[in-house]
Amino acid sequence: MNTKSTCLPTFERFRAVNKAFPKTQEISEIKQRGEKVFGWLCTYVPEEIIHAAGILPVRITGYPREMELEDANAYLYINNCSFSRSCFQMGISGEYDYLDGVVAGSTCDGARRLFDLWRHYIDIPYSHILTVPRKFTSRAHSLYYDQVKLFKSSLEQYLETHIDDAKLLNSIQVYNEARGKLKKLYELRKADKTPISGSETMEVLNASFRMTKESFNKHLDILLDELSRSREKHHGEARLMVMGSVMNNPEFIKSIEDLGGLVVTDELCTSTRYWSDPVVVDGVEPLEAISKRYLNNYPCARMVPSEERFDRIKKMIREYRVDGVISQIIRYCVPYAHDLPLITQRLQEIGIPILSLDVEYGTSGSGQVRTRVQAFLEMLEARKR
Amino acid sequence: MQTIGIDIGSLNIKAVVLGSEGIIGSGAEVIGDDIDERASAAIKKALNQAGLDEDGLPVLATGAGSKLVANISQRKTLASCLARGIHFLNPEVRTLVDMGAESTTVIRINQKGKLADWVNQDKCASGTGLFLQQMAKLMGVSLEDLSCYAIQAKSKADISSTCAVFAESEVISHVHRNPPTPKEDIAAGIYHSVASRTISLMKRLGITQDVAITGGVALNGGLVTIMQRELGFDLIKPEYPQQVAALGAAIIAREKLHKDLT
Amino acid sequence: MSSAGTSTKIETFIQTANLLSRMNRSQPGARESRTLYYRMLADYYNNIHRARQEGKLIAAHTVFFPTEVLYAMDIVPMHMETTTWLSAFLLKEQSELLAKGSELGLAPEICSPHRGVAGMFALQEIPKPDVILWSNLICDNTAKSGELLMELTGSPGYFLDNPFQDSPGELDYLIGELKEMVTFLEEVSGKKMNWEKLSEIIERTNKEIDLYREINELRKAVPSPMNISGYLELISADYLFPGQVQAIEYLTKLRDELKSSILNKEGAVTNERFRLMNLFIPPLHLLGSLVNIFDEQGAVSVAEPMFTRWSDGKLDPSKPLRSVAQKSFLIPERRSMYGPLKGPAIPDIVESAEQYQVDGAIYWAFMGCRHTCAAIKVIKEALNEIDVPMLTIDCDIIDPTVNSEDEVREQLMQFFEMLEDR
Repeated sequence: MNTKSTCLPTFERFRAVNKAFPKTQEISEIKQRGEKVFGWLCTYVPEEIIHAAGILPVRITGYPREMELEDANAYLYINNCSFSRSCFQMGISGEYDYLDGVVAGSTCDGARRLFDLWRHYIDIPYSHILTVPRKFTSRAHSLYYDQVKLFKSSLEQYLETHIDDAKLLNSIQVYNEARGKLKKLYELRKADKTPISGSETMEVLNASFRMTKESFNKHLDILLDELSRSREKHHGEARLMVMGSVMNNPEFIKSIEDLGGLVVTDELCTSTRYWSDPVVVDGVEPLEAISKRYLNNYPCARMVPSEERFDRIKKMIREYRVDGVISQIIRYCVPYAHDLPLITQRLQEIGIPILSLDVEYGTSGSGQVRTRVQAFLEMLEARKR
Repeated sequence: MQTIGIDIGSLNIKAVVLGSEGIIGSGAEVIGDDIDERASAAIKKALNQAGLDEDGLPVLATGAGSKLVANISQRKTLASCLARGIHFLNPEVRTLVDMGAESTTVIRINQKGKLADWVNQDKCASGTGLFLQQMAKLMGVSLEDLSCYAIQAKSKADISSTCAVFAESEVISHVHRNPPTPKEDIAAGIYHSVASRTISLMKRLGITQDVAITGGVALNGGLVTIMQRELGFDLIKPEYPQQVAALGAAIIAREKLHKDLT
Repeated sequence: MSSAGTSTKIETFIQTANLLSRMNRSQPGARESRTLYYRMLADYYNNIHRARQEGKLIAAHTVFFPTEVLYAMDIVPMHMETTTWLSAFLLKEQSELLAKGSELGLAPEICSPHRGVAGMFALQEIPKPDVILWSNLICDNTAKSGELLMELTGSPGYFLDNPFQDSPGELDYLIGELKEMVTFLEEVSGKKMNWEKLSEIIERTNKEIDLYREINELRKAVPSPMNISGYLELISADYLFPGQVQAIEYLTKLRDELKSSILNKEGAVTNERFRLMNLFIPPLHLLGSLVNIFDEQGAVSVAEPMFTRWSDGKLDPSKPLRSVAQKSFLIPERRSMYGPLKGPAIPDIVESAEQYQVDGAIYWAFMGCRHTCAAIKVIKEALNEIDVPMLTIDCDIIDPTVNSEDEVREQLMQFFEMLEDR
């Protein structure tokens, strides 16, 4: 990718939030005001409900680089994925000591055990786990809706407050706004030359679940404006999509882009799958609308049938004119590992090459990863000729 | 009466003769085709050093290779012997890290000097003595130099602490980087990765002080220094850290002897 | 059958099981229940072997799957994980299956029996199933293995979504899932569900669960009437023949034998020194050596709460499908491995340790099973609180390249030395 360093003041603001996280200024101000902050674990946790309760939801993520996870290896055992271990290591080291609650879903084994051990070993006033069905059927929707109701009432009981529809509708609006703006940001990446790189986009996304949505929306508006006037253009020899396990390390994307690829889109729960579908309040109760959105959203590999996810991936490949896909799967991320032979075959059918990397959470993409990406880019280049 | 303890590891054989006050002789041999012959040689060396030439002293064997020895009938497992050995040398030790060529074991010792719990290194090679040797070879330096570099380093290269195979390719990429990562930093990265793995294993068991380190890797100054830095306290290192299991074996042999006599 | 090779594996299973059954019978003093156990294995694979001839469908399914439904519909179940386990235990042929699995692109971190299942289908070593059934009870591996198998076999499939907790609505969700599965199976097989038969099965399942509970009570005896391999045989009855005559026969025989052993104060080992709790499952390919080590050291397995502690409750034969769903909530494996850790898993283990007077526990840390391993520290701490030491052995339940027999023996000997010293 050909690029000079970006000069976008708002972008620097996001970067500062990420650098300070989990202890950002905004969070400490909120805590000082006596307000609550909750951590959430997966994109199947309906954030709007936490927001509507007047609590700041932040996403629990691990260290921004590959770390020595001495405690987590002892607690979670070595065969749980390095994402859950990295998060746990931060938790047990007190990095998230300000959290008033942790909310998870029964999404995958790694996440549910991270939740289990978090509440066993780390002092936390409130904790809740939602049963998340693995299907998209109407029966699954009604079970998940029950679970969302249950979560809301558990929260109401804990806070001794009532979360009414007006509050929910407000939260839906705030969150939808963020989703819409992020979609706009992604639209910019469909161009041949993009004003924002893949790694920078990831930094924006990281900030999106570490700030109040109100503040994020305000800043993203400015950034979108700055980008529209920016002369900076990124161009790559190959347009790439990144897919696979949870990943929020911009360094990894940057290492791909430094080698000449341009990451134009992704299928990550920390990026596209975070913003992709809005909550549609269309003649249904706000709570039901929320529950519909979360279960129907761009699916994680945990969902069955996987074809839903594969179809969305294929659609994005067309829309973003992707030349090649880089799959990065964290060791012991079993849901994605099982899907790999299937998606590889589907991509082959549409003539899209895939590079599959075994990684650890937080990897910066050095060493062998770098060598393999380089070879992949050369292969894509050769195909063009 | 004197007893003999012999530790038959995966690479080396260590034998000690225990007198009433402590070790009065020791001998070491490298593992060879004929283990029985090698074991006898190590025992002979230890007896010579002790100024004894008599045969027929009670012998007890331990270590991974001990069951391959035909002519020693008494046997105890490594952790039991390590526990007895370290307790004899330092009764305050509650946690012991034994780092051999091919495996690492962390042991908890109760106040009576008995084995209370232990954990073996998980299924991977990246925390062992052999791994350090391979890494030194990969960088074209001696193990002693690697150790010195690691202590001197101002910063450290990122080396995966998860997997020996990953670690190896990372070291290679640091060596071939342009400009190459300083040797000190790579060495520090390697040592940190081994230290981290070992500390993780210790945490699986729970760390109770005092903590001692034994096994051949304990002779490696770089690793001990870095582990101490990470742990934030000093490790107890016996004068002859490779002999502790053999010593424990000799102690158990003596205890058995007393038991048989009474 | 698609090729001559297809039936070989199944035939070898049957022959081996029959042979073991005969060998057991001819051994003086051997338990008759063990003969029945081997006969059960032979019967099970005979059913699969004869299915085509008899015009029955074969349904390949993942562990802890409610196969009562299949039996009621006259569809022959094929327990996929048990089939790879047996391949390891009886035939020692797991290596080639795992190699094939990895050739298909399945990462080594995926649970080995699941890699083996895929390998087995790809190699066409077992009959092609007519339908694939899988469920998220018990883990991500069971939840995610079905789709690739559908593709490998070209068979249709149904994913049974098992709810994670037992909050309001979750049982009904499972009942709905079962209903839909029945409809799906009716379409595939062209045969209707026999509800009466399902009721009968449920009735027998009640009896079966009662037998399990009775056996659990009997196993509290000192000396223990059962050895280490006993529990693996014990749990197989429900895996293979839930609510079936074969399971009842076997469990009844076993119960009677245990009673008489206890009456005569006969222990499973001659000199009982160590009463152990086994957590999770030992390497199955090493089972023979484990039995020897345990026998020679006077060690017995007295409790395996993760696989043997059933929840309280009785099923209602007049509501058969609801009962099938309820059974999924009663099984020990759900209590111990599914749902939040805050549930009964840890108290079960602690209580078992006390009730069965265990001297120590062994946790077989199967590296392919992430969610169970994540609880090891919590379990160990809970057991240490009641002064029960726990040994953890990292292992793989079928892959012979992960542990050697020597290594496992060494660990066990060390543990026995430690227990002796206490």
